[in-house]
Amino acid sequence: MVDIDASQMTTRDINLRLKSNSFSNNGITVKNSQGRHNLGVGLSSNTEIKFEGNVGYFCGGLSSQCQIVIQGNAGWAVGDNLMSGSIAVEGNAGASAGSTMRGGSLFVRGNSGARTGISMKGGHLVVGGDSGFMTGFMMQKGRIVVCGNVGEAVGDSMYEGEIFVGGTIGSLGSDAIVQDASEDELIEVWEMLAKEGIAERPKFKKIVSAKKLYHFDSLERLEKNVI
Amino acid sequence: MVKPSSQIWTPEAIEDVHEKAELGRYRIRGFSSFQKVPHFDDLVFLSTGLTRFPLEGYKEKCNTKVVIGHRYASQPLELATPIYITGMSYGALSQTAKNALARASSMVGVATCTGDGGMLPSERKNADKLIYQVLPSRYGSSPADLMQSDAIEIVVGQGAKPGTGGLLMGVKVLGDVAEMRDLPSGIDQRSPTRHPDWLGPDDLSIKIEELREATEGRVPIHVKLPACRVVDDVKLAAKAGADAIVIDSMLAGTGASADIMLDQSGIPTIAAIPLARKALSELGLDGEVSLIASGGIRNGADVAKALALGADAVAIGLAALIALNCNKEIPEANYEQEIGVPAGYCRHCHTGKCPVGITTQDPDLEQRLDFEQAANRVANFINATSMELALITRSLGKGDVRSLEPEDLVALTMEASAMAQIPLAGSNKVY
Ligand SMILES: Cc1cc2nc3c(=O)[nH]c(=O)nc-3n(C[C@H](O)[C@H](O)[C@H](O)COP(=O)(O)O)c2cc1C
Ligand code: SF4
Repeated sequence: MVDIDASQMTTRDINLRLKSNSFSNNGITVKNSQGRHNLGVGLSSNTEIKFEGNVGYFCGGLSSQCQIVIQGNAGWAVGDNLMSGSIAVEGNAGASAGSTMRGGSLFVRGNSGARTGISMKGGHLVVGGDSGFMTGFMMQKGRIVVCGNVGEAVGDSMYEGEIFVGGTIGSLGSDAIVQDASEDELIEVWEMLAKEGIAERPKFKKIVSAKKLYHFDSLERLEKNVI
Repeated sequence: MVKPSSQIWTPEAIEDVHEKAELGRYRIRGFSSFQKVPHFDDLVFLSTGLTRFPLEGYKEKCNTKVVIGHRYASQPLELATPIYITGMSYGALSQTAKNALARASSMVGVATCTGDGGMLPSERKNADKLIYQVLPSRYGSSPADLMQSDAIEIVVGQGAKPGTGGLLMGVKVLGDVAEMRDLPSGIDQRSPTRHPDWLGPDDLSIKIEELREATEGRVPIHVKLPACRVVDDVKLAAKAGADAIVIDSMLAGTGASADIMLDQSGIPTIAAIPLARKALSELGLDGEVSLIASGGIRNGADVAKALALGADAVAIGLAALIALNCNKEIPEANYEQEIGVPAGYCRHCHTGKCPVGITTQDPDLEQRLDFEQAANRVANFINATSMELALITRSLGKGDVRSLEPEDLVALTMEASAMAQIPLAGSNKVY
């Protein structure tokens, strides 16, 4: 493991270093991350990266393949547009965790804020604690698992994908419905939790799209196939 | 005797009520606003006489080259002429149309822009300079594509639909358009209007930094704004760290928008540009943050007027589609039969039934657009527009399009004078 001290470097230098280290098999530890924004952005190879301390906005954003561990809390949009690889936040995450992620996995051991998994297009997002309002807003694909409670308007206007909630649901968003999770699905979700070191096996509720917003109810003359 | 129609209950207003009474929702259409508002035709140039000398067309060169986004980017965009092709999505447009626009932009040394729904590999191949849009929906958003772009444009909103999200009707959300967007095939696509990962200008500045980090500070970051509260919005975007600002007016084209938004929000282009310029001047950022204007640019005179009012470059949408063949009578098309109106009156981009193969995902219709010929037409059009721009510039006694200034113009109407802050012809007065 290589160590670098963030307090002595610019964000650009840290990210360039993380990119250049991407090709070695040994991981890299970034000490004193001190809530800095935009750490570990735009990375694209299989490297283990550890941030010691809190990170600011967009940590691990626009990245693929690497395995990031944040030993602290993360600011807004941790793992935004993640394509593959994994990010684990050992503390809490701010708003928009995993926004628009298209692959890979994001794990938040604590709570995560509003709009968790907003416009998510693939991959897995697991929250060990609670998540805020509008979790899964306009979600398109993938799976969100919240072990605790979710806030209001969960799954609002989602297209596809599924949201599993272990605790209470503040309210369902437009076009979101609760469906029974099958035994197989529950086992799959519990296995996902076990991988993150969570032994509990909550009886999850599953939220999906009712698909009633898929089409405009009516079309104008010219939008139909007749003149 | 038939009485004249009411001033407010025009046949169009009556038809609108009838249509919505059937439909039960707002109406959607493509193209651009039907509002009659002051535009570039309400301004004219004061070419040279004895006070200034014109330049000789064949001897004295007129520079049209501009550099956009040099504020922080290590590789700003160099354009051979200050006209580039705006973001129009693959999905709204056919793949042939996207590729032809990309090829045309390379032929004339300018840039093109992706639009919603992501980057086509063939578009990247055909475009020497490609701007990558980051929209609220992030449909098709790929870091790998972003990193191979030549500029990035964060879309805060569009002039044709400020404050509302993108629309793509189900007839177009098919095949790889649906796949690239991670959407179920055939659905009427709605889009968020706010970005998923930032809200206010403070967050925007961090987002801009994120994009800079991902591209190692190489490419310019543009922020595209609908022309509404122009002065404040431009100031906030500039303070957030934008390298360039695109101001997109109420006259801007669209592939699909609620028609109420097309006609009822935003301000005209000739009002928006001076306000945006004023905002940058007040911040002392003239010459540092580039200003791009879009919305209703049709010819070289419009470009010259936009530059004289304060823009550094313009972006064109509908003009490029019209050069592709939009609204043109071609042997393969039967407008009346296929869309119910004659050529010249088509505004039906959202229906997916484009008779000339531009705004469609129907392979049979797309075949009506020949890639090579289409690219040539758009390249010819941009060349012609650039020649008109140079002609006007020389006639004003100037050898560089960057020297165009408000003093070169007068207004033909009081409204245009007041909006563009240009004196009324025959007076020295700005109304
Ligand atoms: C068919 C079509 C599709 C468009 N798609 C997008 C888009 O994906 N993203 C965007 O920011 N603007 C989009 N626009 C708006 C243009 O980027 C631009 O703002 C507008 O066309 C400029 O006005 P003009 O058409 O009068 O030149 C689209 C416009 C058209 C005509
Ligand atoms: S011809 Fe095609 S591009 Fe032009 S307005 Fe009609 S549908 Fe739109």
